[in-house]
This record gives sequence, structure tokens and C-alpha cells, in this order.
Amino acid sequence: MLLLALVVVEMAYFAHAGSNFFTAGNAAEVLRASVEIGLLALALTAVILTGGIDLSVGSLLGLAAVLMGAAHRDLGLPIAAAALVAIAVGVGGGALNAALVARLGVPPLIVTLGTYSLFRGVAEGFTGGIRNYTDFPPALLFLGQGRLPGGVPAQVPLLVTAAVFFWLLVHRTPVGRGIRAIGFSPEGARFAGIPVARRLLLVYVLSGAMAGLAAVVYAARLGQAKADAGSGYELFAITAVVLGGTSIFGGRGSVHGTLLGLIAVALLQNGLRLSDQPAELAGILTGVLLLGAIGANRLVAERSRA
Amino acid sequence: MRRLGVVLGLAALALACGGGGGGGAGGGATSKSGPTVAMMPKNKGNPYFVSCHKGAQEAADQLGVKLLWDGPTETDPAKQNEVVEAWITRGVDVIAVSVENKEAISTVLRKARAKGIKVVTWDADAEKDARDVFVDQATPQGIASVLLEHTSRLLGGKGSFAIITASLTAANQNEWIKNIREQMAAKYPDLKLVDIRPSDDDRKRAFDETQTLLKVHPEVKVIMAIASPAVPGAAEAVKQSGRPDVKVTGLGLPNASKPYLKDGVLDSVVLWNTMDLGYLTIRVANALARGTLKQGPAGLDADRLGPHAVDGDHVVLGTPFTFTKDNVDGFDF
Repeated sequence: MLLLALVVVEMAYFAHAGSNFFTAGNAAEVLRASVEIGLLALALTAVILTGGIDLSVGSLLGLAAVLMGAAHRDLGLPIAAAALVAIAVGVGGGALNAALVARLGVPPLIVTLGTYSLFRGVAEGFTGGIRNYTDFPPALLFLGQGRLPGGVPAQVPLLVTAAVFFWLLVHRTPVGRGIRAIGFSPEGARFAGIPVARRLLLVYVLSGAMAGLAAVVYAARLGQAKADAGSGYELFAITAVVLGGTSIFGGRGSVHGTLLGLIAVALLQNGLRLSDQPAELAGILTGVLLLGAIGANRLVAERSRA
Repeated sequence: MRRLGVVLGLAALALACGGGGGGGAGGGATSKSGPTVAMMPKNKGNPYFVSCHKGAQEAADQLGVKLLWDGPTETDPAKQNEVVEAWITRGVDVIAVSVENKEAISTVLRKARAKGIKVVTWDADAEKDARDVFVDQATPQGIASVLLEHTSRLLGGKGSFAIITASLTAANQNEWIKNIREQMAAKYPDLKLVDIRPSDDDRKRAFDETQTLLKVHPEVKVIMAIASPAVPGAAEAVKQSGRPDVKVTGLGLPNASKPYLKDGVLDSVVLWNTMDLGYLTIRVANALARGTLKQGPAGLDADRLGPHAVDGDHVVLGTPFTFTKDNVDGFDF
């Protein structure tokens, strides 16, 4: 509710202050620019619901992007196969996180802080920091830059599909209930017969897979894959999740909340630009919104407990 | 009810910030007197670009141009694209970009041109068909030649040097390095380039890389720092190493270099006048928007810079300039 009101206020304000803000063309551009972060945020919602975190998604996006570029250009794979390579790299990276978290019981913050450096480092080492994969075929570039009939950016259906998938998974299946139970209490969940390790494996692998998919979309949108692709995206995605009302301690939260959080942040950045405001302001306001939203949530939670 | 109060309070705060930061930059079409030029640096925090902004603003005030100045504050390669996208949606007459990522930005610049927006690149170029004109600060040959003259003089014509660059992918720096290698092969057979390290346009990183370089390659006697934050970073590292036999030369801003030039650690700094670069870019953008840009040796009237040659889609600011401890006090940027 709180967030919906915020989005409405943002729209009303920027429709007044920005040039060409309230147009279909701009809505399409906002959506287009949000797809990669959105994919990461959806998967992160599931991760954070278990009480975990995945800081490695931005780095994994970069690694998957350059390996996709290499698979296409250096190995000569067709672009569809190269895209599968990116997703496979994502799944592999996610599986590494998953194994360390679920099998060895290392805290996810530490595991993914490690792989955050590891994946980016491998991507930089692999390309020497220099190589930039370009010359992607038109079919891929269409996915990132083209429009479907009706003016919908070509990558948006991917985000919608992923959103439906995660919503059903989290809110309509026993797996989703298990994920939230783990967030409330891993021990309790285990005693309740929930296969905790398997569920944790699932969410981290999904997170990696989404990072791989986001890498494909990123390369398609920018027409290049370089080792610095997606740097800082993990923080934007976590912001969207937390702003969307998911508790960082796990258990509480929703996929639709994450989508609203994503829109709130994306509209803020876009609207400020269209009203000729400097980009730093977006950073300040995002911070203010995040702290405000969390503070408000806390207040509401304390009140309902009292 | 209380919840709603919090929401409204938050929203009011957001609006207050939004309104306050604006400084009167209200709705889009404020004045029809001059063209709206949207200009983007690679990085807004770098003093190099801050001084470009100064010159650009001066020209904009003279010409009645509405200047929008925005760009990345962080190292996200997608950021420049997003800002350009927003400018296309907003609607501007000219977009002028100092390009960080050639391949990535060219797609959106082409899109801007398709929508009838004039595109200028300045400081660093995009792909040729993605822009109308490139405002070049100096030719890579000219820069490489002056840098090598200083290096060779410091080494007495023979010895090893290393380069601290911006990032390993920065297009400008790579072009200079290519020219440095070519001219070394032709004119300086006894100079040896032993290593090229990145600084990511960060002073601290340049400091760390230089310290490592001095340890790994003790034979290096000259550090050539070719990004403006890298010069003071490298000079500080050499100073702290206590090696009087090592000197720094490079390409950077006079103010940041001043103390090290006086110290003697830094021998010389090569650069063009960055304020003039911003000034010339707005002059070109304005002429392009008004359709007054002509071909030929005096195709552009750049007012205080005099007439400039327009050679196809190329306008050059001039020859590089060397700052030394004797002349640096005359400059402040």
C-alpha cells in the first residue's frame, strides 16, 4: 500500500515536472532499462525470503556476459547456443554459491561476498580487462533494442514470464511456503520436515540462472559484453527487494512488492533525468526512500505487536 | 491512518528535495531563443570535466544556449546509455558526449540521430556513423610525440619507462599508446616500455599501481601517467618511495600537479586547455543546431578561440601544451 502510494506520487510529480515523462514511449524505455535489475531482484526475493543474500549476481552477470561473447565470437557458436552458455554459466555460479551455503553451512553473506570478487575477477582475467565482445547478430540485438507490435520492448516478456514464475513459486506452492518457513526459522523448518538444504540449493541456483539470463539481455541491450558488465547491479536489485517490503531477515515479503519497489526506483531515476535534475539526486532520494520505507515498516510492525 | 501519514511525509520530503535541487530547472520548453544542448562527460566528479563544464557554460551564456550537463558518477558502463535515452525522450536539439564505451553508446546515438537530434562527440569519439561531428582536443600523434620527447629527455635517450593509463579499455588512452609505440619504433629505438598499468581514473589506484611497478620493475626510471587523476597518484608514490632517480611525466591537470612539479618529482605535464575544449564543443553544437557550420579552414567562428577549421566531421582544438614548474602558476583549473 505504502509503496503503491509512493509510485502514484512519483508519477504525478514527474508528469508535471519532467518533459515527455507521461508518454507510452517513456514507459517503454523505463521498462526496458529495468529488465536486468528486475530479473536479479525477482530471484533475490526468494533468496532473501530464506534469510539469505546473494551479493554475487552483478559479478556473475559480467562473467556470463563475457563468456557468452567468447562462445559466440571465438568458438563460433550460434547466438542461441551462446545465450545458453550464459545461462549455464549462471547456473554453475549459482550452484557454487548453493553448495557452499546449503552443504557446508557457510553464511551466505560471506559466501557471496567471496564469489562477488571471484566471478568479477575471473571475468577480468579472462578478458585481460581489455577485450570487449561486440558484433552480436541482429537477432540478439532485437531482443535488447527492438520493439514488439504495440511498442513493447522485446525483453519485457522475459521479465513478465520470470515474474509470473517467481510469484507462483513463492506464493502458490509448498516450495514457496518452505522457503518462507526457512526464513523464519531454519531449525523449525527442518523439524517440520522441510528439506532445507534442497530448498536453499534451489533458490541460489535460480538466482544464478537469472543472472545468466540478465547477462543475455544486457549484452543485447548494449550490444557489447565487457568484464565490467553489471557492476553495482546487486545493490540496485537488493534495494528493489527491500523497498518492496521483503524483510532482510527472511520469512516476510512478496514478489509483487519487489516489482513495485523496482518500478519506484526506476521511475525515480528516469523522472529526475527528464526534469533535468542531476543524477546524484537519484542516489540521495533512493537512499531516503529506502530508509524511510524500512523505518515505516518497523513502526507498523511494532505497533501491531503492541 | 498513521501509515498514510508516513507515506505523505515521505512523498513531501521527496518532492522537497526534487524541487530544491533543481535550481529553477523547471519544465522542458522554457525558452525558444536558443537551442538546448545536452552535454555529457565521462565522469562528473573528475576535475578535468569540471573545468570543461566551466568553458561550456561560458559559451552557452554567450550564445543563449540552454546547457544540460549530466553524466555518470559511478563506473557503470550502461549509465551513459541511460542518460542519452532520457535525453532523447525529453527532447533536446543537440547531444554532446565524451564517450566512455564506444560500441555501447553508438547504438543510442544512432537512435538520437534517427530522431533528428544532432550528435557531437567531444574528448573521446564514438563510431563514425553515430555522430555528426567529433570535437578533438588534440591529435593522438601530437600527444604521443610530446610525451615521448619528455620521456626521452628524462632518460637521456636510453632506458625503461612504464605507463599508468586510465582503464585498460579507455579509447583515448589506447589510441595514444598505439601512437607512442609507433613513434618509439620509428624514432626512439633505445626506449623500452616495460609495463602498462590501469588506474581506473582513480588517484589511489594510480598510487597503488605505481608502488607495485617500482618494486616489480626497479629498472624503470620514468613513469608516464596518461590520465589526469593518475598524475598526482603516481607522483605521490614516487615521492614516498624515496627514489630520486625516478621521475614522472604525463598528461594531467595543472592544479593537481602543482605541488609535485614544485617538488621536482613531476617533471612536466602535457595537456590542452580543457575550458577551451568545453567552450569549442558548445560553439560547434550551436553552429550545428542553427545550421551555420561550414566546411573549410575557417568553417567555424569560435569567437575568443578564433576561427577553427572544419575538416569533414572533425574539428581539432589545437596543439598540446606542456606545464612545467616555471609556468604552472599561470593556470588555475
